[in-house]
Amino acid sequence: MNDIGNFAIKIAEQFGCSYAEARTESSEGNAFILKNGNPEVSGFEASEGIAVRLLKNKNLTFVSTNKLEKENIKWLIRKAVRRLDSSSRLSEKIELKNERVNKKNYKVRQKINVLDFSPKEKLDLLLEVEKSLDEIKKNIPARYFSIADSLTKKEIITSEGTMITSEIPRINFVYVLTMVNSQKSAQRYWQLGASSGMEILNKWKLEKKLKEESAALLRNLRQGRKTRPGAYDVVVAPEVAGIIAHESCGHPYEADRILGREAAQAGESFVKKDDIGNEMSSKNVSVVDYPAMEGSYGFYLYDDEGVLGKKKYLVKNGIMNEFLHNRETSAAMRMANNGSSRATSYEREAIVRMSNTFFVPGKTKEEELISEVKRGIYIKNFTEWNIDDKRLNQKYVGSEAYIIENGEITHPVINPTIEIDTIRLYASIDNVADNFELHAATCGKGEPMQGIPVTMGGPSIRLRRIKIT
Amino acid sequence: MKDETKGLCNYTLKELKKNGAEDVIISLETCTTSQIKFSNSRIVSMFQWDLKNAGIFASFSKRLVSTVLKEVSKKHIDETISKINKFINFCKENNDYNGIAKGPFRYRRIKKTHDEKIENLEDEGIDIVKQSIDIAKRKGIEKTAGLFETSSHKTFLLTSNDVEALDTGTEAQFSFRALKTKDSSGHFTSSARMLNNVDFESVCEEACEIANKSLNPGDGKQGKYDVLFHPMAFANLLDSFGNAASAFHVESGMSCLKDKIGKKVASSNVCIYDYGNLKNSPGTATFDAEGVPTRKTTMVKDGILKGYLHNTSTAKRFKTKTTANAGLIAPQPTTIAISEGKFDKEGLIGRIKKGIYVTNIWYTRFNNYTTGDFSTIPRDGIFLIENGKIKKPIKNIRISDNLLRMMQNISGTGNDSRIIQNWETEVPVLCPHVFVTGVNITKSI
Repeated sequence: MNDIGNFAIKIAEQFGCSYAEARTESSEGNAFILKNGNPEVSGFEASEGIAVRLLKNKNLTFVSTNKLEKENIKWLIRKAVRRLDSSSRLSEKIELKNERVNKKNYKVRQKINVLDFSPKEKLDLLLEVEKSLDEIKKNIPARYFSIADSLTKKEIITSEGTMITSEIPRINFVYVLTMVNSQKSAQRYWQLGASSGMEILNKWKLEKKLKEESAALLRNLRQGRKTRPGAYDVVVAPEVAGIIAHESCGHPYEADRILGREAAQAGESFVKKDDIGNEMSSKNVSVVDYPAMEGSYGFYLYDDEGVLGKKKYLVKNGIMNEFLHNRETSAAMRMANNGSSRATSYEREAIVRMSNTFFVPGKTKEEELISEVKRGIYIKNFTEWNIDDKRLNQKYVGSEAYIIENGEITHPVINPTIEIDTIRLYASIDNVADNFELHAATCGKGEPMQGIPVTMGGPSIRLRRIKIT
Repeated sequence: MKDETKGLCNYTLKELKKNGAEDVIISLETCTTSQIKFSNSRIVSMFQWDLKNAGIFASFSKRLVSTVLKEVSKKHIDETISKINKFINFCKENNDYNGIAKGPFRYRRIKKTHDEKIENLEDEGIDIVKQSIDIAKRKGIEKTAGLFETSSHKTFLLTSNDVEALDTGTEAQFSFRALKTKDSSGHFTSSARMLNNVDFESVCEEACEIANKSLNPGDGKQGKYDVLFHPMAFANLLDSFGNAASAFHVESGMSCLKDKIGKKVASSNVCIYDYGNLKNSPGTATFDAEGVPTRKTTMVKDGILKGYLHNTSTAKRFKTKTTANAGLIAPQPTTIAISEGKFDKEGLIGRIKKGIYVTNIWYTRFNNYTTGDFSTIPRDGIFLIENGKIKKPIKNIRISDNLLRMMQNISGTGNDSRIIQNWETEVPVLCPHVFVTGVNITKSI
């Protein structure tokens, strides 16, 4: 692969490019599905390809292919450069932030290699999860489980001399449970993910987790009351705090959105370049994006431009502190780059993305947050959610949720719904707990769409006097 | 298709059969794509893709495996077959599996699927983007964003059930968003198989018109409204409806159409089709993933659900015939179409006493796929309608409703169908303006 990457850089330079970056990737993986107890088609896959990004006369182009013959790569680059010359009259003049030359080789250590874990063991895992729900299966008429793993070897070479090689395994477990009781139904769809060997399965304790979640959902169906609309103090657990951090802090802090580059589809941002230093929330609140968290689904050390992925305080002690940047946006905004450029594969351009985005835990116990609530709601996890394309108008519908009365969790409640403006939401946070969880997710952005592995999370957080319907 | 490549596909099939496979499907696809992406009325990047993909599906006594060949060479094929032999020993039987379609089939040539102009497009794409940006400037809009994408693909299919078929095609997609101010924008797209059928000028003009009319929007109010959906907006919901019709999704709890065959799922004015051989649609192919010739399937007739979308295996489970929608794991919609009515947009607006005109939606998410409870967010121009006329632009609302209830409350469809394919509307949808009564509107506070 090194040979192909260097060849691409050399050809690009021959065609007059001032900058070239070759990202070669080879990936192997497996996928298994169990639907209502029946194994669907199982699969394994190996792929290999190259992405080349070129800058000539400050115009940017990108090519991608899995036809790795040198003649084909040369033909593609020649074609791309020629089109670049033609488009120059209409093109944005793009500068890339100067970066140090990095040379690094890193890989995620696996105790049990994802590719050594046999197909039987993976399928058996799904069958065991299915079996664990035997006792309440009559209340779960539809059950869908999938497990997928991959090992991606990547090499990033730039014409400036950077060379980063990495080897990252990823595992992903997805489940959809449809619960019914009498005429009522509820669904839980969620995923777990990690950049790890198969040893992560011991931590996930899938059977226990799904059994507990199913029992809670069933209890909610049987005993849950409808939410009486009104103003409540709300304590949201890490899963819900995570989606809030991701949707209404992480996304609007992506510098390419702020600059309008993703305006056609993924949208823009309510945040403006000059907002750094403005107040967003109480002093208790900090939101971080940090890719180098060991084992996390959003893990990387160097981004897809070969830049070190830094720990970013998007919000620090309630103040808007830092955006997510790549080399292009940091140059355009004259800010420091923080290594947030990611692509899902060699078939996609690297753009500004989150990695692991979370509220920073505080010092208060979750029980204390709850004990200080007279009339409120505790939302453990969520189902439907959405947010507008400027990241202001958002909705989170609670799945497993309970009434809080006089500081105690009392009774299950059905689908309490937060529908709130971002400014009000962050202004309502008065305290954060000391617990911490990261939840895996697949984040969508880009044209064509790129669903990239991330995590989102934090501690439980308390929102004072917000409207619940 | 080179004879050598075809020979290697035949070799793969024979070897797999020799190793005990009953059903085998080899699918070889090549695709070249170009994309011009623009934002802030400047080209921000140009993309070129040149990809190939060789897929294998095989069944061994109801144990199913799929894989992809990294390269089509004898050495790699032998390695992959050897891996399949090991892999399949660990797999378990899928008792729901019922085989693949039996060929051979006769394929009809579908008109308007292949355009040499697209294949030979050079710098004209850049000119198209420039002209579009210039149109917006003439309409007083300085900030635009979007993309122009063209692709050319070839699919060769070989199965153990006497299918050997080749399909070629081209596509062009143009997406244009006009951003007048931070709160006033318009978005429209056009997708086609033939370049001449992508109406760049009218796409730009419509996006600009929506943006210009949505200046200074006031806050919307929650409540029940009659809503007129622009094709861009309703196509997004029909995409969800089409996916709900896949037999796989019905079985896995991802559909509100379970146990609804023969029952009313939409207004009696409405028919909904899966249109696998619609000329000029990006969703059209000569055959599905098993080689079955594509067709038009009536999903909903006069509001009654007639059936689901099937491949051969799901069809046998549901005691019916394939609808030519394979997907080997899940049957998939091709192009979804809803029947047209007799009114134009103005005629539909004229029927609305108190309502909202929604030109685009995004972030459609379900609370519960089996009930169809969902919400989605109108974006770009949103307009209040009073007494049959557009009164003023509004913003910051959400549609929080139920898909089945909305389908049943369709009060009229327009006569202006267009093929919509967009970020969230991945399956092409042939859709006119659609008028739905009593839609629940909520908003953030």
